[in-house]
Amino acid sequence: MIEVHDVTLAYPSGKGVFDLQFAIEQGVAMGYLGPNGAGKTTTIRALLGYMRPNKGICTIAGLDCMQDAPDIQKRIGYIPGEISFIDGMHGDEFLRFMFDMREMKDDRLQKQLLDMFDLDPRGNIRKFSKGMKQKLGIVTAFMHDPEVLILDEPTSGLDPLMQQLFVELILENKKRGKTILMSSHSFKEVESTCDHVIIIKDGRIINQSDVQTLKKSERRGYVIQTDSVKSAVQLFAASGFEASAVSDDTLEVFVTGDHVDQFVKTAANITVRSIDVTSQSLEDIFMQFYARKEQ
Amino acid sequence: MINLVLLKTTVKKNWVLLFIFFAVLTFYMTIMLAMYDPHDTEAIMSMLELFPEDLMKAMGFSGLVTTLTGYLASWLYGLLMLGFPMVYCIILANRLVVKMVDNTSFAFLLSTPNSRSRIIVTQGVYALISLLVLFAALFGVGVMVSSIMFQDALDIGAFFKLNVTTMLVNMVVMMICFFFSCLFNEVKRSAAFGAGIPIAFLLMHMLGGVSPDAEILKRISIYGFYDPMEVVHSGTVMGANLAYSVCIVLLFAGSILVFNRKRLLL
Repeated sequence: MIEVHDVTLAYPSGKGVFDLQFAIEQGVAMGYLGPNGAGKTTTIRALLGYMRPNKGICTIAGLDCMQDAPDIQKRIGYIPGEISFIDGMHGDEFLRFMFDMREMKDDRLQKQLLDMFDLDPRGNIRKFSKGMKQKLGIVTAFMHDPEVLILDEPTSGLDPLMQQLFVELILENKKRGKTILMSSHSFKEVESTCDHVIIIKDGRIINQSDVQTLKKSERRGYVIQTDSVKSAVQLFAASGFEASAVSDDTLEVFVTGDHVDQFVKTAANITVRSIDVTSQSLEDIFMQFYARKEQ
Repeated sequence: MINLVLLKTTVKKNWVLLFIFFAVLTFYMTIMLAMYDPHDTEAIMSMLELFPEDLMKAMGFSGLVTTLTGYLASWLYGLLMLGFPMVYCIILANRLVVKMVDNTSFAFLLSTPNSRSRIIVTQGVYALISLLVLFAALFGVGVMVSSIMFQDALDIGAFFKLNVTTMLVNMVVMMICFFFSCLFNEVKRSAAFGAGIPIAFLLMHMLGGVSPDAEILKRISIYGFYDPMEVVHSGTVMGANLAYSVCIVLLFAGSILVFNRKRLLL
């Protein structure tokens, strides 16, 4: 459905994306992961026809993203990474405007989405909170029931409850055969919705795999507070975990995705006063993924 | 080729700006007309003599004012009808395109099934229509006010031609601003060029009026074909009108072309 073929799009600063090559089949949800400035938004700009690549071609449903942009836009729902609405517009006025610009007839889905996200679009958008603006962006992107969804960090600004609602919305759309490309800088965000992930860094794709494989290779640090740190460290080390004392009463144990069960069972042998998970940076995950693959 | 939904929204968001400029220019026109004394053009001339001659020439005030139409052409259309609409053009042209590109809200327009050309043509057409409306309204005000104050003193045919040519020259200014609004991704740059170049032309026009030596400056500016006194008195305006129309079309086409080709940082 979405094809990016040998695309290079370089900015004068030397940044950009280089030799990108990937394809997303219909009905697949693809996570597009990378740290800030990796080239996620640049790729999306090429897909939406906002920027002509220096080299290569992007197509959506077989149509050229630059030449056939208006045709493609009929099939796309897009949430920009940095949402900025037209100055001085009210929320309901904006929705009406986008509805008319799309020459839509049926506003049932729009109403459903407003209900779902509990959004009252009346009032000047400038006075909306960040979360409300994000919700308005989501409604705008989904209201015409598009075949393809291109979402640039769609959950930023949403509270956890709304993030959960959004995940449900994505899963429902996936079930209905929609093709989804969702960029994010956190693995956690895409793991619950996407089947595959592409990892991009410094403008180049460094990995493409399914979520399950990546999950297994993910290594988490568990910070445990206990009475006797020394013996605890020994215990975990004996079970094959990498463990080290952090302070007098806490230790950190590193656990990969496929050893969680064993970790919990080992931890059951000591007195656990508190347990916490340290979140890993995306780059750590990639690095481990690589290390693992090389082994 | 244009999108009516977008045009409607653009009108809704920008009519106030148009109205403000219309109100200001109506105010000036009325004041100017009120100052006119058909029986005593000498009084005006002697008042003019109080000012330095060169300054008056720079402002486009001609010494050959004998009729009401000539009076308006000289006093009002010599500078005010260029300067004020220029400010309008600069503000509007920046609002119509580059402002939305700079703050990325343009992404929403392009995320609808409308081509870049269609959106730009719609915005450009609004820019031109708004000037047409402005000058049509000012023509109406001029005719109305002068018929109330001085019956039959205004040569309506000449005044009409004067407004047509002045509208066209202002449309050229609008399209210069519009072109830069389409060319750049930042308001800062667009405003610098879109304002700088027309203002430079206006200064050249003013300087060119001062002395015959500097006249070349006026000739090479866009105001080279614009001589309100000539329009009113001799009435040969077809050449100037045609030249300005060609400029408008070329600049409009250029705006669409550069916008279609450029990379949008949305």
